[in-house]
Amino acid sequence: MMQNNKDEFLKQIDEHKLIIYKICNSYCKNRNDRDDLVQEIIYQLWRSYNHFNGTVKFSTWMYRVALNVAITFYRKTKTSEAIIQLGEPDIDFEDSKEDRSELEENKNLLQQFINELKELDKALMILYLEEKSYNEISEILGITETNVATRISRIKDKLKQKFSTLNNKDHG
Amino acid sequence: MDDITLKSLWKVQDEKLDRTMKLNLFILDSMQKQKAQSKLKGLARLKLVAVILGILWTLFLGVLVYGNQLQNIYFTVSVGMIMLITIAAIAIYIKHIVLIKELDYSQSITDTQKKLAKLQASTFNNRFILLQTPFYTTFFWSTEMIQASVTKFCLIAVPITLLFTLLTLWVYKNLTPLKMHKKWVSYLLKNDPEQVPVMQAQKFLNEIEEFKKAS
Repeated sequence: MMQNNKDEFLKQIDEHKLIIYKICNSYCKNRNDRDDLVQEIIYQLWRSYNHFNGTVKFSTWMYRVALNVAITFYRKTKTSEAIIQLGEPDIDFEDSKEDRSELEENKNLLQQFINELKELDKALMILYLEEKSYNEISEILGITETNVATRISRIKDKLKQKFSTLNNKDHG
Repeated sequence: MDDITLKSLWKVQDEKLDRTMKLNLFILDSMQKQKAQSKLKGLARLKLVAVILGILWTLFLGVLVYGNQLQNIYFTVSVGMIMLITIAAIAIYIKHIVLIKELDYSQSITDTQKKLAKLQASTFNNRFILLQTPFYTTFFWSTEMIQASVTKFCLIAVPITLLFTLLTLWVYKNLTPLKMHKKWVSYLLKNDPEQVPVMQAQKFLNEIEEFKKAS
């Protein structure tokens, strides 16, 4: 029974691992912390798995646990990370300079913008970009749908402004 | 930059993240043992140490009061009050430990984070313990001491106790992150390493409240 439970859990996690990676990438700026956070999220998900009773969708439950763990982890490591950040790029993918197309730069800019958001706005934006419905986002975050819509709209406005400022600089 | 472009940009990450990040699902069992030392449990451990020290301190005070056999009413009342305040602090810490153990990460983000921030703020911010301070200036009083020199008692001992009482009440009322707008409170709290986590937690609590407000 326990083994079946564990197999089912591992299967579900494997299916949703990209979500976990994206959350970790958005809340941690250095690789060691990211790996630690991945393990912490998996551990907390496994710990809570027995209490998952299906009253909410699996993805809603998983996002709640993963984001709660990420925000807690982020708040605890924020100070030390601020120091590390000085010497390390936000995203340390192994891209060569030649690979840096416009798409690549925009992608990095988006990730940088997400990283700069406050903890709760960051969670909101991740859920929005993951194409969750406003209803599910409100369930995960515990705020009203109207609030979700207003906040997303404001953050998007800021983001668009940032992109256009940067594009103007490039073409100027 | 429209919604579709934003979401497409977000998806570009998938392949690279899958390549660069590690998900080790085979160490779930060993992880459970390791995580017995997790950071959140550290908070519970800190409170548990405080509870144990508090109990030991209360027992010690109890022995003193019992040994005194009500011979000195000032001593009994002073130490009794210190004991009562310590017991109240122990009770609050025990309640916090229970809350930490029951903390459910699968509840909504704002609810869980609010509970956590409140717990963190309260760990370092049990200000009411300060209220026992004036009793440390009265436990050595005795009828003999007062009778020996009423004038000295009234001119030295009573003003000192009064001063400590007023000072304690003033500090209790003012030295809180809620009064950070006052310059001296801000200066004192920012320079006290014990208060930094309280202020961070309080700041986050404000952010959560702001976030929850319908715009």
